[in-house]
Amino acid sequence: MNHNNQAWQRLVTAARQVRDDRDTAAPLGFSSRVAALAMERRSEGVGALLERFSWRALAAAVLLAVGGAATNYAMAPDAASVDEPPMDENEVIVVFDIS
Amino acid sequence: MSDEPAFDLNGCLERVRGGDQSAARELVEHLYPLVIRIVRARLPRRVPEEDLAQEIFMKMFTRMDQYHGAVPFPHWVSRIAVTTCIDHLRAQKRRPEFRWADLSENEANLLDAVLTNENSAAPDDTLAAHELVHKLLGQLKPEDRMVLQLLDLEQKTIAEVKELTGWNTSLVKVRAFRARRKLQKLFQELQRRERK
Repeated sequence: MNHNNQAWQRLVTAARQVRDDRDTAAPLGFSSRVAALAMERRSEGVGALLERFSWRALAAAVLLAVGGAATNYAMAPDAASVDEPPMDENEVIVVFDIS
Repeated sequence: MSDEPAFDLNGCLERVRGGDQSAARELVEHLYPLVIRIVRARLPRRVPEEDLAQEIFMKMFTRMDQYHGAVPFPHWVSRIAVTTCIDHLRAQKRRPEFRWADLSENEANLLDAVLTNENSAAPDDTLAAHELVHKLLGQLKPEDRMVLQLLDLEQKTIAEVKELTGWNTSLVKVRAFRARRKLQKLFQELQRRERK
């Protein structure tokens, strides 16, 4: 086991000597492309956020409207239950005393 | 000495947060050497380095609101780069089987030399050693590969590995121990196959 570990250590010691001399500067146009993409996604993100809040606001408005209608419907007097005034309470009959 | 003024990273970050595209471009230019070195050292097979670098930068911009300055910004970006490389290595799933027949003559001789000669110094053929080390690392799980690459090849400290990967100290040590054990098994297997 120890021997194999030494073999590995000798290999990595040699491998470390290899230097990577490749250019590390960004290729032409890379930074502009990535920056444009990032900013585009960022604005899309803001738009998506607004859109999501708009949908939520619409849903809340619909709920409020339905709730309001339901409450008012329950409180509204039933047309059928409104009694006709008795004949003797008819204002015309009372005023002209024609009963 | 260079007359070029020092890069104002904090100012640049502020401008990027404000949606300044030219600041974003400057930030990419500034961090590209750091990112590409990480990518090149751990490049998964069949993934072009530029694509991987772009993915890392896009993650950096997307997560920028999560950066609160607890660590220097380049360290934070390095961690994104390392974890993105691990994700790609993990996605590769199948690793090609390691066979003597796939090694170049130099690599085979070198492996033979380090396996049979206990007293030999570091091998002279550094390029072959570099290739061989990466082929051997390619046989390990992405996390095991990463921990050995950082500790043994790049000679990072446990604290640096911890910072780069986000793993805790115990996890780094345990992963390194397991990775070395797997590597030793691989060496034993190679020796057994060679003797057949």
